[in-house]
Amino acid sequence: MHFSPALYLDPGSGSILIQLLVAALLGGGLFIRSQWAKILKMLGKDTQEVDEENNDDFEE
Amino acid sequence: MTISKNKLMQHPASFRDPSGFLFTHEGVLYRQVNQKYAAEYKHLMESGLYESLSKVGRLVKHQEVDITPIEPEIALQVLQPERLPFISYPYEWSFSQLKSAALTILAIQKRAIKEGMSLKDASAYNIQFHQGKTMLIDTLSFEFYKEGEAWVAYKQFCQHFLAPLALMAKKDIRLSQLLRVYIDGIPLDLASSLLPSSTKLNAGLMMHIHLHAKAQVKYADEDIQAQKKIKEIGKQALFSMIESLRNTIKKLEWNPAGTEWGNYYEITNYSDTAFLHKKELISKWVAEQKPAQIWDLGANNGVFSRLASEQDIFTVSFDIDPAAVEQNYRQVKETKEENLLPLVLDLTNPSPALGWHNKERESFTNRAPADMVFALALVHHLAISNNVPLQQLADFFGDMGKNLIIEFVPKSDSKVKKLLQSREDIFDEYTLDDFERVFKYRFKIEKKVKINESERHLYLMSAL
Repeated sequence: MHFSPALYLDPGSGSILIQLLVAALLGGGLFIRSQWAKILKMLGKDTQEVDEENNDDFEE
Repeated sequence: MTISKNKLMQHPASFRDPSGFLFTHEGVLYRQVNQKYAAEYKHLMESGLYESLSKVGRLVKHQEVDITPIEPEIALQVLQPERLPFISYPYEWSFSQLKSAALTILAIQKRAIKEGMSLKDASAYNIQFHQGKTMLIDTLSFEFYKEGEAWVAYKQFCQHFLAPLALMAKKDIRLSQLLRVYIDGIPLDLASSLLPSSTKLNAGLMMHIHLHAKAQVKYADEDIQAQKKIKEIGKQALFSMIESLRNTIKKLEWNPAGTEWGNYYEITNYSDTAFLHKKELISKWVAEQKPAQIWDLGANNGVFSRLASEQDIFTVSFDIDPAAVEQNYRQVKETKEENLLPLVLDLTNPSPALGWHNKERESFTNRAPADMVFALALVHHLAISNNVPLQQLADFFGDMGKNLIIEFVPKSDSKVKKLLQSREDIFDEYTLDDFERVFKYRFKIEKKVKINESERHLYLMSAL
């Protein structure tokens, strides 16, 4: 990963690492949830799919 | 149109971003977009991102105009952004106002990533309240999103939004005032040390503030990119990271309780008749004067401000009490009011000029004058609790507004008696006659009415 040298804001090394950590932890959580959903599905239980990517509505 | 350089003024808060800058010419605000931002600007305008955000009032609207730029050799285009009636700053916002602004930044960032762009900064100063909504005012905040990259403005987002919100919710609401001291947001190590240790059990606060602060110290001098220590962060992972920030912020709550003025209007010494009479007079005088903008100083939860905003007059409702301002803002959101802006302000120590050259953020008084100022049930607090002589009050209000609706509360009023019960009465000059005599140096008294069933007088004055 490389940021262009023209950046006018210093992203901070520690701040980049924390983002990776959070993403990894949440990725793990997502994996467990998706596996859990598969198990439930095999048992014949329907689970609600969460479409996180489209969840960007502005707060009113 | 060609304009001479000496008439141009680059905006004193617009100098960091090489993509462009704001300037004023003959009182009109413009934004020069530089050539180096050409590809990003084209993508912003043609991808539908500008359209989709500005349509819902979340990105300031602009028009491309044909005037000579301030620095033509590097310019691509000049824009004329929609002008806002009043610029406010994060240290003047209540808890929910800062929270709304934070969630708006995150929602914009998610939408931007979907359109191949990303916010290159997440400054709270880039958000303003416009027609009741939080809106991004920096058109040049978007850069191209490159898959695999982390969010460059993540640290700034945590400092400007998450840290102050966590401190306000988990420690003390008054810590919002740290934003006055730290203009680029609250340092995360400071936030981490001030927050109660119980916040370490909150996964979001643990990661985004406590661990984040530690990581900043540990990796401060390391070039982790050169060392190839880090992997790429995929788009889906980045969305999850933003979602985590969003959830952490959504769960932060602060409820106004046990405050100075909590139920002020339920315990006033107004009879219904007096209250109604006061409201009638204000509504009538406002309708007659038709000011373009009103500042209600000491507005509490905005009950009198609404007499103006309901007549479609843009009104800023200032109060010292963050709980009153919080209640006021919640009402604005609930009833979708577009002409009312509640803000936290201590009149005895109003917002100063801040930042580089003391010019980045304007002082409260520098944003004056308003067309009309309300000073309702306020003078006795300033004159007696804060010992401000009447002459200085007249000077202050004379500088703040062109017209003034002011209420005089005499010593015989129980509210004033209460203020005086625990101290010596050194206020020989605090009488109705002295008040009028002194205010006549700065104002013409247009109207004077005694409020029914009370000892208070309401005045309409115009500045000389």
